[in-house]
Amino acid sequence: MLNLNDLGRLLIMAKKTESTLKNMLVALFVIAFISSTTLGYVYEFTKGPISDARLKKKVEAIKIVVPEFTNNPNLDSYKIPSDMPDSLECYPAYKDSTLVGTAIRTFSDIGFSKRIYLMVGFLPNGTIHNISVLEHSETPGLGDKMDKKKSKWSEQFNGKNPESYKLKVTKDGGNVDAITAATISSRAYAQAVDRAYKAYMANKK
Amino acid sequence: MSKLFTVSPSPHNYGKDTVRSLMYGVIIALIPTLAISLYFFGLGALIVTLVSVVSALIFEYLITKFLLKKQPDILDGSALITGLLLAFNVPSNLPIIIIIIGALVAIGIGKMTFGGLGNNPFNPALVGRVFLLISFPVQMTSWPLPIQSRMHYLDAMTGATPLGIVKEGIKNGEKVSDLMSQIPSHMQLFIGNMGGSLGEVAGIAILLGLAWLLYKKVITWHIPISMIGTIVIFTGILWLINPDKYLDPLFHVLTGGVLLGAVFMATDYVTSPMTHKGMIIFGIGIGFLTVIIRIFGAYPEGVSFAILIMNAFVPLINMYVKPKRFGEVINNG
Amino acid sequence: MSKINLVTKGFLKENAVLVLFLGLCPTLGTTTSAINGLAMGLATTFVLIMSNTVVSLVKSLIPDMVRIPAFIVIIATFVTVVELTMQAFVPELFEVLGLFIPLIVVNCIILGRAEAFASKNNVFDSILDGLGMGLGFAFALTILGAIREILGSGAIFGMKFFSGDGMLVFVLAPGAFLVLGYLIAITNKINSKKA
Repeated sequence: MLNLNDLGRLLIMAKKTESTLKNMLVALFVIAFISSTTLGYVYEFTKGPISDARLKKKVEAIKIVVPEFTNNPNLDSYKIPSDMPDSLECYPAYKDSTLVGTAIRTFSDIGFSKRIYLMVGFLPNGTIHNISVLEHSETPGLGDKMDKKKSKWSEQFNGKNPESYKLKVTKDGGNVDAITAATISSRAYAQAVDRAYKAYMANKK
Repeated sequence: MSKLFTVSPSPHNYGKDTVRSLMYGVIIALIPTLAISLYFFGLGALIVTLVSVVSALIFEYLITKFLLKKQPDILDGSALITGLLLAFNVPSNLPIIIIIIGALVAIGIGKMTFGGLGNNPFNPALVGRVFLLISFPVQMTSWPLPIQSRMHYLDAMTGATPLGIVKEGIKNGEKVSDLMSQIPSHMQLFIGNMGGSLGEVAGIAILLGLAWLLYKKVITWHIPISMIGTIVIFTGILWLINPDKYLDPLFHVLTGGVLLGAVFMATDYVTSPMTHKGMIIFGIGIGFLTVIIRIFGAYPEGVSFAILIMNAFVPLINMYVKPKRFGEVINNG
Repeated sequence: MSKINLVTKGFLKENAVLVLFLGLCPTLGTTTSAINGLAMGLATTFVLIMSNTVVSLVKSLIPDMVRIPAFIVIIATFVTVVELTMQAFVPELFEVLGLFIPLIVVNCIILGRAEAFASKNNVFDSILDGLGMGLGFAFALTILGAIREILGSGAIFGMKFFSGDGMLVFVLAPGAFLVLGYLIAITNKINSKKA
């Protein structure tokens, strides 16, 4: 039981508090209470900015891969099935109510380490507008060249229509020039784009 | 400390072996390997070997003189061997600046940081090699084609190593028997006609070197045989289980750095165990780790990593596997 | 011990990373570039100063037997504050350091200073101690990050001065151990000369 007398005595006491059960309980309770109250306030205060920052990151990625748009693709997003159990998220981009492109969040599991996530932007006719890497953990210096920040490798996809442009590395009989010494990462990248393309074409309204 | 006399009980027997004579024994054994790499990789092999050896000697001299402040003895042969072995462990189209960095790491970090010859726990040439492999993965994994690239250095045509071809093929779900058409025959592998590091390609030359080292009693058979034996047994079992997915043992022994590592690198005096029993444990460990890395790891080749990992176990092996003291009676309880 | 000494001892004589070997996990994990090292160092400094202040204020109120849990709760509170703030206002930095920010809670430097210094000294001295130790930690992490960035990416504070890739090993974990080892050796040399 906590009463105000005990609390007052605790606070004014200059001497070291003794380790009695009551003192310990009171001390821990007070500390936990103050810290959880503080954190509650900080959480309330930062909640808005945090979700804004997350949304901004997603919209930034969409902005990179599709032409200029005026709607909020995040609100209009829908899901389409892929050849894997996981469905792909689509973010349609409209400019004054005409569809100018669709950003699709796609993935591949055949990379060098963990699953690779890409954001691929298609024009309404299926041509690839631009691609950006959302998440990857490929080897630094080799596979990470798929990231735009590291090299211009991924630009070869821009403006290609997968109808005529085979999304496979040249070694496997496709049109994609692999990153030097990182065929596996390049193959995964091409597979992810291909997955998005096939799902997009199959579900086109 | 150097003023103290070493007092030990008799009998005293003065051995004729010196650091210098042993080191030059190793260098002679390396000559056939060098000759074959010059034959297959020509100009590139020459440039890489010269740069590596010269920079290893220069770094040895500079660090001993100015950082350790000792009298340098660069002609004792140890820096020369480190330089040669480093060159043997890299592709022949490696740019000069990268070789110099490798030599600096091998001598500076691999050897001198620990106090110079005799104090380094890890094989210096392999420290340099692994450092380069992690630092410059593109340059360190593009292998010039043998014979065709004789007159080229940086502009050599490149291809993959046999192990690399197979590792990637298997990852794509292809069968070993289909992949075999893309790689040279076992006989070609034995004489060294394949892509790879300078010194690791020619099995026959390395075996000549091994014969010389054994004849001169520079090394004993324990490490090379236990290491190669483990690789043969381990890969043999996997091969018998599923020959479509795993390569035959002979292929494993002839490709990559198995022979080079077993004969010249794992047997380094400073970084291998003292007793014969310890050496066998050491060799088995290297063989085991090599196969694990080759078959289950991310890299197609694992000899360098395996040797470095087992180097770290040498003090432990030396602690538990001690030679029986003279006159010691085994206590039967 | 003079007041100035309380602050400066954290840099070389009692540097948390280079002499006391405390907090090595964030040291090795976050220092892939100078700016990451600096940010991690400053985040730790903030937590260290705040926790030292509070621990020193309430030291006589906390019974001895529960002091460790009490300190941890105080530290964890400040760490969470830092984490939420960083996530809200510098999301780019949080993406890089995110994994390591919660680990500040278990960073031995902070509990170590709370236990060894703040719980025995007055508030003002504790703040100075937190400042010195924290800045010393930030100093070590920045140096480590800078060396790794220069050698590993050919850049310093994000500015490239060398085109192409650097020596990748310095961006990866082995490079962190390597550079830390040499920094410790140099610190020992400097400290042994002074002594």
